[in-house]
Amino acid sequence: MKISLKALKYYVDINVPVEELCDRMVMAGFEVESIEKEGDNLVNVVVARIADIKPHEDSDHLQICQMDIGKDELVQIVTGAQNIKVGDLVPAALNDSYLPCGAHIVNGKLRGVVSNGMLCSGEELCLTENDYEGASVNGILILKDTHPVGTDMREVLGLDDYIIDFKITANRPDCNCFIGVAKEIGVVLGTEFKMPKPEYKTVGENINDYISIEVQNYDLCPRYVGRIIKNLRIKPSPDWMQKAITASGMRPINNIVDITNFVMLETGQPMHAFNYNDLANKQIIVRNAKAGETITTLDGKDYTLTEDMLVIADGEKPSCLAGIMGGKESEIEDDTKDLFLESAKFRRDNIRHTGRALGIRTEASGRFERGVDIVNVEYASERALQLIYELDAGDIIEGSIDCNCGLPEDKIITTTTNKILELIGVEVPDKTIVSILNRLGLNASLNGKDLTCRVPSIRDDIEGRADLAEEIMRIYGYDHIVGTAMRGDVVRGKLLPERIKTNKIKKLLNSCGAYEIATYSFIASKAIDTLLLDEADERRNQIKIINPLGDEYSTMRTQLTTSMLTVLATNINKKIEDGRFFEISKRFIAKSLPLTEQPDELATMSIGIYGENEDFFTLKGLIEAICKISGAHTMYERSSEPYLHPGRQALVKANNKPVAVFGEVHPTVASAYDIDTKVYVAEIKLDVLLGIEKRKTTYKPLPKFPAVERDFAMLVNAEVPVGDIEKAITSGAGRLCEKIKLFDIYQGAQIPEGKKSVAYSVWLRSADSTLTDKEIDDVNAKIIKKLEQIGAELRK
Amino acid sequence: MKEQLKSISLAAKQAVEICENESEIENVRVKYLGKKGELTAILKQMGGLSPEERPIMGQLVNEAKAELEELINAKREVLKAKATEEKLKAETIDITMPAKEVKVGKLHPLNTVLDDMINIFQSMGFDVVDGPEVETDHYNFECLNVPADHPARDMQDTFYLAENLLLRTQTSAAQIRTMETRKPPIRVICPGRVFRADEVDATHSPVFHQIEGLVVDKGVTMCDLKGVLEQFAHEIYGSDTKVKFRPSFFPFTEPSVEVDVTCSECGGKGCRVCKGSGWIEILGAGMVHPNVLKSCGIDPEEYSGFAFGIGLDRLTTTRYKISDIRLLFENDKRFLDQF
Repeated sequence: MKISLKALKYYVDINVPVEELCDRMVMAGFEVESIEKEGDNLVNVVVARIADIKPHEDSDHLQICQMDIGKDELVQIVTGAQNIKVGDLVPAALNDSYLPCGAHIVNGKLRGVVSNGMLCSGEELCLTENDYEGASVNGILILKDTHPVGTDMREVLGLDDYIIDFKITANRPDCNCFIGVAKEIGVVLGTEFKMPKPEYKTVGENINDYISIEVQNYDLCPRYVGRIIKNLRIKPSPDWMQKAITASGMRPINNIVDITNFVMLETGQPMHAFNYNDLANKQIIVRNAKAGETITTLDGKDYTLTEDMLVIADGEKPSCLAGIMGGKESEIEDDTKDLFLESAKFRRDNIRHTGRALGIRTEASGRFERGVDIVNVEYASERALQLIYELDAGDIIEGSIDCNCGLPEDKIITTTTNKILELIGVEVPDKTIVSILNRLGLNASLNGKDLTCRVPSIRDDIEGRADLAEEIMRIYGYDHIVGTAMRGDVVRGKLLPERIKTNKIKKLLNSCGAYEIATYSFIASKAIDTLLLDEADERRNQIKIINPLGDEYSTMRTQLTTSMLTVLATNINKKIEDGRFFEISKRFIAKSLPLTEQPDELATMSIGIYGENEDFFTLKGLIEAICKISGAHTMYERSSEPYLHPGRQALVKANNKPVAVFGEVHPTVASAYDIDTKVYVAEIKLDVLLGIEKRKTTYKPLPKFPAVERDFAMLVNAEVPVGDIEKAITSGAGRLCEKIKLFDIYQGAQIPEGKKSVAYSVWLRSADSTLTDKEIDDVNAKIIKKLEQIGAELRK
Repeated sequence: MKEQLKSISLAAKQAVEICENESEIENVRVKYLGKKGELTAILKQMGGLSPEERPIMGQLVNEAKAELEELINAKREVLKAKATEEKLKAETIDITMPAKEVKVGKLHPLNTVLDDMINIFQSMGFDVVDGPEVETDHYNFECLNVPADHPARDMQDTFYLAENLLLRTQTSAAQIRTMETRKPPIRVICPGRVFRADEVDATHSPVFHQIEGLVVDKGVTMCDLKGVLEQFAHEIYGSDTKVKFRPSFFPFTEPSVEVDVTCSECGGKGCRVCKGSGWIEILGAGMVHPNVLKSCGIDPEEYSGFAFGIGLDRLTTTRYKISDIRLLFENDKRFLDQF
């Protein structure tokens, strides 16, 4: 909230410079967003008396003036103006001065004659007749003879105010006004705060002869106070009020509207002024709107209302959207004669819902949403009448109609000073505690260590000892808090096992040259379509955000591949020649749609690689390494993901559970991402992989006896996967098989059509003896038999 | 004969001296010490000597042979060393030629910073826990003392997935889940992803990351909170960093504070980074609100606690002076490689 310092000084003594005031308010919980000094754009311009004028020899219109600025020496300034004479007081912009129009004035020469500044016109100072009489004259502004020479022009123009923008936290709606902030300043500075006492005279008569008020829904409107003012005398409001309103960002309109706005800014209580003569049946009814009822608001817009919205109606129709905006029909205009003045409290969430539903937010609705004090409703009304009386804006009718269901009692909080200090850990003398709480208006009294506070409704944010602790500390000063070391057992915190395992995988991938990426958890609704999934694919069961920032970020992802493809495309399009990337995040799997309970959030990893040296098998190598350090035994099967190359993809099973799918990205999918090179992706169900229990490691003795190496070269049908050959060899070799290695695979010349040549080395070893020739021959025979069973033809 | 021995020995020594490689020295050895060598020949002449002279002469010859042998061996070592040296010299390479690249990836900068933080808090005895990103209104707001009509809901624009389900706006929700499942003493941090409906720009992202800290025990005070945050600040920003509490408001803590540290750029003197104030705001904290403790079944009369929430993204961008938060989510390899 922006407040003029001058306005604040009306309520409280401020005996420190503005910077100190702001620093101390920040430390009391009122962040200062900005301090603007009025006249900051008018620098080094002073009142000067013309001591001498001589014509310029090289010019027929320039004059050389000697200016008295209250210093020992005169200042020479050349001017083109003709409306001046010796003895005039004028504004002189001296060397290195700034004018509101943005000009920067420095010493110079005009046609060879030194000029140490500039004499200013009203226009050059951005002044109008309202600011200073004579400002509109064509030529130099001639000042009244009352200002001492040398006086800063800011002082002459009364530009010595500061506008401070306080950030008021959501728990202190009572400080969204001059009085609230001034009260706090009084406590912080220890100076006197003066609450204005409303006093005015009525012209008699009885309000009940003018209007009847009925509140039909006290739940939504706990208090409604109405007053009548006759014979309005509408004119501009006084200068001080206009300045205060303008400083707080509102526009002066006329005395009546300005008074309602000023009182809102001063007390925090929004007021609404109705044109009394437009109220049908001279009735005010606070009620829920009827379905389909319409209203045209002050800004000329039409709204259709629903039954949960509260309106202020006259005898016939809604006249005002309660707490949000008035109706066009009962608007105050220059010829309005009589006024009905409303001051009320409306329920915060109702105002909020109505405002949101209709898309309207006003200064008033914002205040009702944050909450206004029920007691303050009447004070604000009284204060408005006082201003109407003092500014002679109309005749006040005797009496007020105050509809409410009883006003709240002060809240009693009992605790002990010890219990308060327990939370803080700092010793504060009891006397200081009581004094601070009393200065804050919390009516504290102490009996031994027992503390009782009587908290008025305006501070309904205060509920217990924790709140009192905060009130005390923000005034006593948080700099009294001295850090203490943690107490209790010295232990190192624990990580969840999943985090430990994940960290290992990340480290592994880093050492394999892969970079970790981070992408948003939500994707475009159509992104999933790029994967060409079947209509029935469960990854299409995505959770939608009801209020997304736009379609691009509208859908919780059920897979990480689309995000990975986007990142690969980004890098490829930036001509980065290769890359290995991985991401660990969550896939969101709804238990049912539409969503009725929290979805499963499953740990997922994606890998994406591309570049000259990358292919299906480099990715397979990464996956195998990940499975290996996770303690999983892997098996590969052909898979059929539509977004992968049909012949270059595989399903990975770890300990017989499907954990990953990987392969070369289908060119159709790649081109949807503007990728024109081969890229390979994997999507790994990390939740499954991390669930695999790693076997406890025990040492196996290193071999004592030599191994025997045998080679097997064979022809097989081209379509037989080498995996089958490996299975045949290992099952034939049995427990003696230590290791097998594919060392040649060939198809082409000298190999019959439809066949391929495959060669393996096999290492056989026994843990307890050197293998005999017979043992070796037996195993050989078994291997050959197994190979022949899968149609292999051994080559000699 | 003695004279002859002397002159052969001398000639042999000279011959060794001038040898330049191993084959030359071998020739010298054969010439003097071989079966038909000159020193061997002398021995053969000893038949003409008297029996008294024979052993004396024999000894002299053997001594001369041994001396020469030693000389030859020594020379051989020298030549061998010289040969090795020359060979190595010839093998000199240009060490500024490019390395055979070992590709090493990096963690995402957010996680590099997070790992540091986890380490710091682990060493102070904080367990690291997780919580769901899709939360119920109950855990994200109600239990955190933000009822439906509370104006604090305005502070956070929330993404909703269903009437009662939302993307968590703060990791504080994990506080509640922790307090429901653990009994005091509690000392945990919960790092995680959070979401708010902020339009994407250089300083805002709808997806960001927080680290929530929670301590609940008997007799926990604000001084303890300051102690923990001081230790954290010292580890992250350096041991002379000062910590300042400024009063603030969060619905789930009371008293609530914003926490500033002395600007690490200027050491508190005031500079462009801290906008001249000498302080930088790094996190929000406070004593756990009694209503929050109560809603988790912990008696606020018996226990107290503190909580703090650190913005990981902000910490990362300030640490590395990253000017645009969008870079964190773009994942350009050249960016990722810098951390």
